[in-house]
Amino acid sequence: MWMSYIQPSVTVMTDDLLRMESIVKTFPGVIANDHVDLTVRRGEIHGLLGENGAGKSTLMKVLYGLYAPDEGTIRFDGEPLRLDRPQDAIDAGIGMVHQHFKLIPRLSVTENIVLGSREPAAPFRQENLGDGPLATLRSSGPVQAVASRFSLGLDRPKRRISDLADQYGFDIDVSAPVRELDVGQRQRVEILKALYRDVDLLILDEPTAVLTPVEAERLFETLERLVDDGLSVILITHKLKEVKSVTDRVTVLREGEDIGTVETATVDRSELARMMVGRDVLFEIDKPDTTVGEPVLEATGVSAIDDRGVDKLSSVDVRVDAGEIVGIAGVSGNGQKQLAETVAGVRDPTAGTIEISGQELADAPPEEFVAQGVSFVPEDRHEHGCAGDLSVMHNAVMKDFRDEQFGDSVLFDYGSVGDFASELVDDFDVRGVSDVTANCAKDLSGGNLQKLILARELARDPELLVANQPTRGIDVGAIEFVRERLLEQRNRGTGVLLFSEDLDELFDLSDRLLVIYEGEIVLRTTPEETTREQVSVEMNGGGDAQVAVADADPADAATRRAADGGRSEQ
Amino acid sequence: MTDASFLIGLADATVSASTVLILAGLGELISERAGILNLGVEGMILVGALSGVVATVMTGSYWIGFAVGSICGLLTATIHAFLCISLKADQAISGIMLTLLGTGVTTYFGQQWASAQFTGFPDRTLPVIGGLLVEIPLLGPTVFEGPATDFIALGLVVAVWWLLTRTNLGLEMISVGEDPETADTMGIDVFRMRYLAVLIGGLLAGAAGAHLSLAFNGIWTNNIAAGQGWIAVALVIFARWRPGRLLVGAYLFALFNSLRLRSQSLDLALGPESPLAGLLNPVIEFLLNPAIMSMYPYIVTLVVLVATIVLRRDDDSAQPAALVQAYSREAD
Repeated sequence: MWMSYIQPSVTVMTDDLLRMESIVKTFPGVIANDHVDLTVRRGEIHGLLGENGAGKSTLMKVLYGLYAPDEGTIRFDGEPLRLDRPQDAIDAGIGMVHQHFKLIPRLSVTENIVLGSREPAAPFRQENLGDGPLATLRSSGPVQAVASRFSLGLDRPKRRISDLADQYGFDIDVSAPVRELDVGQRQRVEILKALYRDVDLLILDEPTAVLTPVEAERLFETLERLVDDGLSVILITHKLKEVKSVTDRVTVLREGEDIGTVETATVDRSELARMMVGRDVLFEIDKPDTTVGEPVLEATGVSAIDDRGVDKLSSVDVRVDAGEIVGIAGVSGNGQKQLAETVAGVRDPTAGTIEISGQELADAPPEEFVAQGVSFVPEDRHEHGCAGDLSVMHNAVMKDFRDEQFGDSVLFDYGSVGDFASELVDDFDVRGVSDVTANCAKDLSGGNLQKLILARELARDPELLVANQPTRGIDVGAIEFVRERLLEQRNRGTGVLLFSEDLDELFDLSDRLLVIYEGEIVLRTTPEETTREQVSVEMNGGGDAQVAVADADPADAATRRAADGGRSEQ
Repeated sequence: MTDASFLIGLADATVSASTVLILAGLGELISERAGILNLGVEGMILVGALSGVVATVMTGSYWIGFAVGSICGLLTATIHAFLCISLKADQAISGIMLTLLGTGVTTYFGQQWASAQFTGFPDRTLPVIGGLLVEIPLLGPTVFEGPATDFIALGLVVAVWWLLTRTNLGLEMISVGEDPETADTMGIDVFRMRYLAVLIGGLLAGAAGAHLSLAFNGIWTNNIAAGQGWIAVALVIFARWRPGRLLVGAYLFALFNSLRLRSQSLDLALGPESPLAGLLNPVIEFLLNPAIMSMYPYIVTLVVLVATIVLRRDDDSAQPAALVQAYSREAD
């Protein structure tokens, strides 16, 4: 029904679809939204910008009926809207694509989309009833009520979903189980889910966090087409580049407060960054020259397999010297995870040797890597970087709890453990922690959890730091902080092995740069000797053929655009 | 020895013994597909069995007894639903409590009913076609002649399969067992759906109990369930949460049970002339020991569990992703 909203552009732009006024939402000890206003016009892409933990997701959960606001009013399409549950939002015409997809892998695409809409089987649908006494019976209330529960008609939804998918150029098999789809396709299913319900307003919560740059480009093209068709879109993000390139207006939140709404065209990136972080953000990083020392990591001929037994790494040589950052560039899934895990000691290589500060440790348990001064910032910070249900304090000493300063061999000295943790929290500016013994690690936002993990790994003053995607999915302020700390640690003589998909990050931080493709190092260079274009081509298996080079060009542009995590353009 | 009459007797006993497992297993399967593990099956069976006897003696109608037994099973399950869904209590603890409660209550109140006389479900055949089906040699009287509850159980296998795979209600139940938060965002009332599934589970466990006392045994005795509730829980795992396989598993487990009861007459020992007799006979004797045989259902379930993990055949299983996870909206 949203097709009917195609109107002359002038009317469209002055017409407010959504007005959220003075929304207040508090959780115990935290004001997540402090009198926030948000107005969305018909047919616009409205950005909602803020750091992790600024209250963006909370505001949208209020709008979607998942949270009840403490104060404030919501008007939708001119009418006051009362939202007690998600169904109320769905009924009003609001759809949401959550950051963590709300899809059930076991069910098919169609089943996921029609779930909850109680589509009866064909013989009981209004248009199939026809005339006669049988039709009267089938259309009666009780029969319809039974049919809507005890039958299921997927044929018509299937057709409609296929049509919608064709309309927006989505290549999706509507009968396939969702578990067989990749991340980009799953997101398209989420969008179809909203379109199937004829939404007027589509909310996307950090939609590009899980997408490759090319997929992100495709998503933005889809969004443009949706607003052309009269839909309004709210795009929640902390990536400035996305805000600048696709939104019409943007509302900025900082620590739960409403900083204001601006026309995107009238502000530049550094202004947006200042609104978001509350101070000037440094986009340039100062990298002093240092002298490198002895090798801290010498991995020779390392091969490894993934959890499903597939070969992911074949005979890779990597050396890291004290006081240098070695960057590893590559498209996700080319063996970075396995390389990071083997040199950090948490995955056994199938072949090869790993020497840490001259000591052969390939088949040693992780404990010995830790003892030799290896620190590890894993890719999945929730799953492998912390114990979510334990307190910040427990997480802060997870690697050094045997240290004498934390007690003797039998008992912990919780006083000194707590002091140590509080110190780390202060030093690394971990926000959202009121009591290190009471707050759980899983309750921290992404950027703050990453700071805590980094604090734990760096407090040991390691010989070697293996950091896998340390800035992925965190906000500009935290990115800046993490990068500064990595450089600082390098200046203090730690060898750093940095895995990243963000080329700007690798070029700014690395002393040497390696490119990994299909489990092999295909290029060894330095940021000075190479270009982003060359690295991008190599990442995509470039050297092989002319075709690949041609293919890599748009991907390269997109890589730089979407993977910059909010940095300014060069 | 293993002659035809032994086989017919064994088949007949297997089919009869499977009904209680089918009914209780289907109930547990529905409950678990919606994400709620109910270890109180044993307790609900006992409550259903005793209340069925009481109602039958008082009214003289075994059908009313069967209905009352089922409903009392449902009421018992309400305790579990309230604790686990509304109060988000630990499902394993609540379920075990339910079993202990059911055992205690039925032992106390059951004493005076232990010698009660009543008319239970008579053996019968299906209407219209039943007469023909019974004529089938061997299979006919075994499968197509029995108490009405046997046929109800078989019909329910199809009904539950239909419910879970062919209806909106089933789709919604599965969704709350897979990912309650997602179901909530799709406008499904997670609490209501989970209550419904647990109550259906209780209804079927109560029906299993009523069948046990009114049709299978024809008398109430203390602890009449004798561990069959636990076998039903294992059966759901064995069936990988699929109704069709549950039927196969119920027959298999019932076969083990029937063999156990007949282990006296089951003489498989090798004759003294066999060279391996000295070596194998103690093993055979061990395997045919009734106490050892009563473990067979659990051993087979363990084997299935291990096999699915080792063979990485997880796609094949319908194990609910959110089993035993309580849901509350603002807790994330």
